[in-house]
Amino acid sequence: MRPGRQLAVLGLIFVVLFLMVFFVGVPGKSSLAERLEPKLGLDLIGGTRVTYTATTMDGSDPPAEQLEEARQIIESRVNALGVSEAEVVVEGNRNIVISLAGENRDDLKQVGDAAQLRFRKVLKATNGAGVAPQPSVSAEPAPDASASPGASPSAGASPSGGAAVTSSPTPSGGTGGGTGGQGGGAQATATPTPTPTASAAPSATATPSAGASATPAPVSTDVAAIRTEIQKKVGDAAWAAATGLTTVADLATDPTLATTLEPFSTLDPEKEVWALDPAMQFNVPQITCAMLDARKPGSIVDESKQAVACESGGKYLLDVAKVLGTDVGSASGVLDQQRGDWVVSLDFTSEGQKKWTALTREAYNNEGSACDQTALGDGSRCRVAVVLDNQVISSPEIQAVLTGDSQITGSFTSASANELASKLRYGALPLTFVADEAQNVSATLGAEQLRAGLLAAGLGMLLVAIYAFFYYRLLGTVIFLSLILSALLTYGALVVLGRQIGFTLTLAGIAGFIVSLGVAADSFIIYFERLKDEIREGRSPRSAVGRAWTRARRTIISANAISLMAAVVLYIVSVGQVKGFAFALGLATVLDLVVVFLFRHPVMTMFARTRAFLSPRVSGLGRVVAQKPTVADTTVKPRSSRVKEA
Amino acid sequence: MAKEGLASRLYRGDAGLNIIGRRKMWFTVALVGVLIALGSFALRGFTLGIEFTGGTEFTVPAAGRTIDQVSDAVAKGLEAVNAADVKVESAQQVGDDATGSILVKTGEVSSADSVTIKDSVAKTLSADPATISGSNVSGAWGRSVTDRAVLALLVFVAVVSLYLVIRFEWRMAVAAVVSLILDLILTAGVYSIVGFEVSPSTVIGFLTILGYALYDVVVVFDKVQENTRSITAGSGQTYAEASNLAINQTLMRSINTSLVALLPVGGLLFIGAGVFGARTLEDLGLVLFVGMALAIYSSLFFATPVLVWLKNYEPRIKVHNQRVLARRQSLANRAAETGGAEPEFSDSDHALAGSTPRVGARPTTKRPNAGNRGGRPGQAGTKRR
Repeated sequence: MRPGRQLAVLGLIFVVLFLMVFFVGVPGKSSLAERLEPKLGLDLIGGTRVTYTATTMDGSDPPAEQLEEARQIIESRVNALGVSEAEVVVEGNRNIVISLAGENRDDLKQVGDAAQLRFRKVLKATNGAGVAPQPSVSAEPAPDASASPGASPSAGASPSGGAAVTSSPTPSGGTGGGTGGQGGGAQATATPTPTPTASAAPSATATPSAGASATPAPVSTDVAAIRTEIQKKVGDAAWAAATGLTTVADLATDPTLATTLEPFSTLDPEKEVWALDPAMQFNVPQITCAMLDARKPGSIVDESKQAVACESGGKYLLDVAKVLGTDVGSASGVLDQQRGDWVVSLDFTSEGQKKWTALTREAYNNEGSACDQTALGDGSRCRVAVVLDNQVISSPEIQAVLTGDSQITGSFTSASANELASKLRYGALPLTFVADEAQNVSATLGAEQLRAGLLAAGLGMLLVAIYAFFYYRLLGTVIFLSLILSALLTYGALVVLGRQIGFTLTLAGIAGFIVSLGVAADSFIIYFERLKDEIREGRSPRSAVGRAWTRARRTIISANAISLMAAVVLYIVSVGQVKGFAFALGLATVLDLVVVFLFRHPVMTMFARTRAFLSPRVSGLGRVVAQKPTVADTTVKPRSSRVKEA
Repeated sequence: MAKEGLASRLYRGDAGLNIIGRRKMWFTVALVGVLIALGSFALRGFTLGIEFTGGTEFTVPAAGRTIDQVSDAVAKGLEAVNAADVKVESAQQVGDDATGSILVKTGEVSSADSVTIKDSVAKTLSADPATISGSNVSGAWGRSVTDRAVLALLVFVAVVSLYLVIRFEWRMAVAAVVSLILDLILTAGVYSIVGFEVSPSTVIGFLTILGYALYDVVVVFDKVQENTRSITAGSGQTYAEASNLAINQTLMRSINTSLVALLPVGGLLFIGAGVFGARTLEDLGLVLFVGMALAIYSSLFFATPVLVWLKNYEPRIKVHNQRVLARRQSLANRAAETGGAEPEFSDSDHALAGSTPRVGARPTTKRPNAGNRGGRPGQAGTKRR
């Protein structure tokens, strides 16, 4: 064997690991202590705490079940951020409190977003200040033949420079092509014609009767109350003018209208604007995008109502939502290989897929010319806005009837794509929440308990070492050194993983590592007991080491495979604290194998070459060895031959 | 033989304990244990910690007070309402010293008690009672975490069964998984009966036992497999005897392993419960201690007996066992005819039969070298001292 080479590999692992500890992912001017600091958990060093308060439209407490459901969804989302162990609890009747290790965690701010996803057709659009012209949908050719033709508008060309929904690059080939053809056939019917409304209202001096068309379906009493308030606030003239608008008021041609509508700019965005009829929100230019964006959360959640939302300063009047977040089966953030952009890949449920296909067909054909000229894309097709809570994420033009999976593309980073995907995956919150300021929070256990944990680790190690020395004499040194080596490797790995993937060490984690001490020592016992057997059977120490290793290796690998399996299954399946623990267990097992293979075995091989190995005083094996000369050869040989054949 | 102590026989791996032979006893013990545990689950259930059940959180303005002061004040308040079993579970500070507040979590108290506690705390800290609030908080360990942990357990059992079937054979897989389940049920049973509080650390520790209990079984089975790989080729040993030998050979390792694994856990318990009162350490130490101690039983006295029981139904092994017994019978008859003189065993029979636990066969074959072996360990022992 080449014990030297194995030790060299171990040395290399050590050097690389500790180079990473000292130099990778640390700010330039960190002190030595900072570089060596593992990321400790919430219970040990505290972290960030954010309270989310549920808001309901009527101000009453939300039902307890909905709050609990929201808690679970938020918990899933937080846990999707990494392996750091978060604590999510319901406090009182309307608060959800999230605590996470580490200070100033900005990523916690989005966790409480309702994440109500709606797909709405864009009916009308205004060109807000500084908005680029309509998207140039000179779609790049479909990347490969199997993709449905024309189904991939270029994301970069959409007005926001933002985002687009495209069909997935890998739809089922047959249907994709077929649908593309179908879409092409339907093209003739899609001739855009100016909508009647666009030409109908040049005289904006509204008459109350004209407003009738804009009066929507009955509204709830509190909305009606707020509208009455607003009417009082802006004055009857302005209200009447706004109600009479059937299209966006053209202030340039009618300056008097601007003055009449002026009071609308004084409305409170959060408390008042959301209650206005969508048509009015759209038509009154004084209601700016800034105001619309500041509407209270959940203002446009109702899928059965039209809505107004902004994208890049342009206002959109959006149709009722025909596809919802609940229609999304799964979502994941993926890197689009063709464009090198991060996208969120969507996979609809079977029911959702039907709705999505219907929506894209409607948009592609511009059925009933529902989409206003202003809202059409360059290909004269309707656009479909992807609306998350109050925000339009993207509004691509639909270039084919889409039957496969879809993607939301846009200026995503890896983190933001995955974040949106996890929100879609775990579902929308049943309630809307307002987050308070994130606050730093102190540890619950604190330094003393951390000391207790470390002391317990030291004590455990000492006990194992004493036992090893008592039972195996000098061989105990090998065990002891391996334990120290394991501890160093584990520590290094903790520091690096804490930085790279946010693995945090809680007190429970520390306890887990202490326990793994015993398990690590076990692989020694398997090996040494084997060695004892071999020597008892009359082998020279040198050959016994080799043979015992071959046999013990098999057992050690099987046994560690079980531990590793437990860790992997727990890591994949479970959530929260269990996940973090499983990670620790897996890490300890892998490091145990590394130490066994790269340290213990070569060291034993070298040790077997020394004379001390045979002395009963020095090695615990000596007691067996000492008997050897007196045991008659005749009895020894058959025993070993039996083992060989066994 | 008689001169040797059990310890030195154990050390050499031939204690000759008849474990397989008493399998009815082990099975009965296991069955009784499982019945008691299941009965306790149904009747007593578990004592769940605040992380599962939720509790009450008192918020006090920090305003220069230390966490310990506030925590002690709340503890005093709890005494005032005679809530003996409700304890202060955790205390932490939110925000900075001047404007922040200190949160103290306790077990759940009624709203009436919570008002009394608030007043008491206000008095102790000479604070305005209006600035102190008490509200109920839910458990941080949600239903979903438990559900997923149970799901993980099931997936693990499925995956590990598959692995054991491939690595060993289905009977070993069944025996190993059954012994794992026994271990888990008994551990949970101890918790239910004694009424130890179940905290997240307990659940985590419980899942650790998963890997550990099987680990031990795999080591024993590995040896059983080695001893019985070509067992049907000879006719010296029944499957049960070969398995018993394997247990005896790995007994020292099992004892060693268990001791070594229990040592750090014991340290954890000692530090956690005794010296520092660190609950996380204590909980984890306790569940591991119970689980690992029970794992000794399930891996040594349950897994292999179950395996042998299953194996004895396998036609190949059944035939083999009958052949071995028949041969032994005829040898015994011949020995009786020759007037008790030692029968002519072949060399390999010496070794094989010698290690079997059969009372009759053992002394005759072992005697030749028993003296030598007995003497040497004694000497080694003197040297050690």
